[in-house]
Amino acid sequence: MLRIGIDVGGTHTDAVLLDGDAVIASTKALTTADVTTGILDALETILADHAGREDSIEAVMLGTTQFTNAVIERRELAEVAAVRIGMPSGKGIPPKIGWPEDISGSLGDDVYMIRGGYLYDGWPLAEMDDREINSVVDDLKVKNVEAVAISSAFSPMNAEPEQLLAKRIRAAIPNVRITESHSIGRLGILERENAALLNASLLSFADRVVTSFLEAIRNRGLTCRFFVSQNDGTLMDAEFARQFPALTFASGPTNSLRGACKLTGLDNAIVVDIGGTTSDIGILQDGFPRESSIVIEVGGVRTNFRMPDILAIGLGGGSLVAKDGRTIGPRSVGHELVKEGLVFGGDTLTATDIVVATGQVDIGDPSAVADLDPDVVAAATREMAQMLNAGIEKMKPSSDPLPVVLVGGGAVLVTDELEAASEMLRPEHSGVANAIGAAIAQIGGEAERMVSYEKTSRQSAVEQVTAEATEIALAAGADATTIRVADVEETSISYMAGNTMRLRVKVVGDIAALENIAAMENTA
Amino acid sequence: MNLTADALQDLSAGAVFLATGGGGDPYVTYLATQKVLEECGFAELISVDDLDDNAYVVAIGGVGAPTVSLELLPSVEDAAIALEEFERHVGRKVDAVVSFEIGGGNSLIPIIAAARCGIPVVDGDGMGRALPEAQMMTYPIAGVAPTPAIGLDYAGNVVTFSTDSTETYERHVRSMAQAMGGMITTVEHPMTGEQLKSSIVPDTITFSTEIGRILREYRGNAHRIFAPLGEAFDRSIYGELCHIYTGKVVDHTSSIVGGFDIGEAVIESFDSTEPRLRLNIKNEFLLARINDQVVASVPDLITVLDYETSTPINAERLRYGQRVTVVGVGCPAYYRSAAALKVVAPRCFGFDCEYVPLEDLKEHHQPMSGG
Repeated sequence: MLRIGIDVGGTHTDAVLLDGDAVIASTKALTTADVTTGILDALETILADHAGREDSIEAVMLGTTQFTNAVIERRELAEVAAVRIGMPSGKGIPPKIGWPEDISGSLGDDVYMIRGGYLYDGWPLAEMDDREINSVVDDLKVKNVEAVAISSAFSPMNAEPEQLLAKRIRAAIPNVRITESHSIGRLGILERENAALLNASLLSFADRVVTSFLEAIRNRGLTCRFFVSQNDGTLMDAEFARQFPALTFASGPTNSLRGACKLTGLDNAIVVDIGGTTSDIGILQDGFPRESSIVIEVGGVRTNFRMPDILAIGLGGGSLVAKDGRTIGPRSVGHELVKEGLVFGGDTLTATDIVVATGQVDIGDPSAVADLDPDVVAAATREMAQMLNAGIEKMKPSSDPLPVVLVGGGAVLVTDELEAASEMLRPEHSGVANAIGAAIAQIGGEAERMVSYEKTSRQSAVEQVTAEATEIALAAGADATTIRVADVEETSISYMAGNTMRLRVKVVGDIAALENIAAMENTA
Repeated sequence: MNLTADALQDLSAGAVFLATGGGGDPYVTYLATQKVLEECGFAELISVDDLDDNAYVVAIGGVGAPTVSLELLPSVEDAAIALEEFERHVGRKVDAVVSFEIGGGNSLIPIIAAARCGIPVVDGDGMGRALPEAQMMTYPIAGVAPTPAIGLDYAGNVVTFSTDSTETYERHVRSMAQAMGGMITTVEHPMTGEQLKSSIVPDTITFSTEIGRILREYRGNAHRIFAPLGEAFDRSIYGELCHIYTGKVVDHTSSIVGGFDIGEAVIESFDSTEPRLRLNIKNEFLLARINDQVVASVPDLITVLDYETSTPINAERLRYGQRVTVVGVGCPAYYRSAAALKVVAPRCFGFDCEYVPLEDLKEHHQPMSGG
């Protein structure tokens, strides 16, 4: 079976065609303003030598930064009404508090806070008030709002209040788009509510993006299924992606790590993705990116999305090299490298020129760097290795030796062995690791609860939460027979008796075969 | 002096440093305080020296699990309502409020109360840092009784306390906090201005703001921040700032015992050649050891900073693989008295060792290396 992976970045659109585990075609094209043309071009290139095999393509997987960029650049954001269920707690701390003014303004002024929600131990925080619900619903109807984000205290543990309100709003405003916070975020109501608001704000854009992607692949004669990759390296199907565009915010670095995992067969490794301006160092743990534990801001808004822990250092193919070779970066000529670099006929000394001067790599016109002082070349080479070694040392989870996988367009920069690495791998096709990461992604499901190990044994608590995560993965299109637990995270809760834990379980599984899905749909 | 919203960011950042890993993330309380100061304009911050000896002062703050506040948000009204309920309970007006501890949200709650009730907040607190239990505050150590006291929950329910000892009060208030949603606002330790003068750790609100300013202006790794930070501590009631260790977290375990987060973190130097640092945690960072040698212990301050930015890290946010710099600061002299060490020495937290002042352990600290 064939699979296609596409990665739409700010500069490049990469695509690969996989036959089982083998990369049988790949391309790196420029991202076009309309995105779709760039994707069609990339598809055309990788399918050129495989015409007639369209029917054996199982799925197309897409990684995209369009939604992240929309938030960062405040484009394509629709107005969203925020409704929080949690009064009488949180008085004076309304939704969107602490947001930068420009993005807060993009989402409009409709904010409601009503009674309801739950406490940490499952006791009702307050009873929901029917008259209050009616008045919110009536108001939303009068204003004819297009999108609503609903949050509720402790909704990851009990989503009923959010579900009830969503139902009432849908009944009153049939075409409204709603994001319920429990479906998108973890514990931490402000961050989860922010995630729901950003997501709801992107729903209309997501609808257009997914539709145009689907049109693009259908126009190319592909009738297979279509998936979008998420922050945690798993996939969502087209319909899910229309509902949860915010889950793509960190899919770029995740796909590059997952691609490196696939290309090398390593489940535990350090991955260095060397681009034009930075080297992004991440850690593969059991085949998935190690996640960051800090609050992640997207476009200045605090969220608690699952994001990979990435250390970016200022070393890339276009990094400027000082005259004596002892300082490199962080300034870079970026993608102007192909005009500005010495070997490309420019007059800026870059990291790429240094590597060409060592004679170990043949890029552009090597004669342009033949006159460089060997001492400068040697000093710069040492400095580059030193920067990467220091970065890798900082990221390494322990002193145990770990292999280092080099990926990205700038991977050629590293020609010698790095001290910090137990071994160095430069897999073939490493330049399109992102697209490969998208192509091989699995379906995931995640669930989280606060549990007391005094009331429920750890084993049965893990089983319960795993069952919930499995349900979510199955609903997203996973094959039941391949589902396995990818991660169990337990965080203890301070100042709480009863050995209270925040327990989170993630499961992953292969994409269910099409016939199984069809069978499921027929019986449904 | 008037405390306005402009100072808040620095104040809360500095309070996280002085909280030594405890106190929880002050972000939500920070938002509430900012809102109140914008509405009310300011809170009046006074030096303890300017307080009348006969003034009636109370300590106000949050008791419970900081993690609960991530979902059960505080209300901007809570602090003022709690103060009114206390006044009703004791039948007299409160003249000024003061903080339990400079750390997490508890450095900010008295400011909210002061701004909304139009009374001053006294510059200082009852710990000079964060510590887990009520009897560890300087007020009870100096002989101030914790009750009459009240607790207020998110829904306006009130509970009153009248206990015969601080230890009993600590037990009662903690179990009530759990029954009332996990986090309550308490008004307790009523005292005279004279009593406060002899028990307060003074000027910590101003000092915390100064630390926050330095963390902001010199944002970067320890090499950048150490000198200005050290000078600030030299000018303060605290002891010396010491670099204890730099490395990454290679192990972190934790579990809950009796409502406290008990754990241990192991930190290893970047090049893995040096012996590891072991940090014992009971909500706060309490004890640091290299091999079996204690290199810093409670009541001296142990703070863990993010290696890249020197941002202080809460114990609950400490994670495997994080790159950190561990620093120590000598505690205010008050905590080195025999009376204080009876309740805050390492043995009070179950560690089998005597308290040795931080500055006497310097030879065991890892020197700050590199550039």
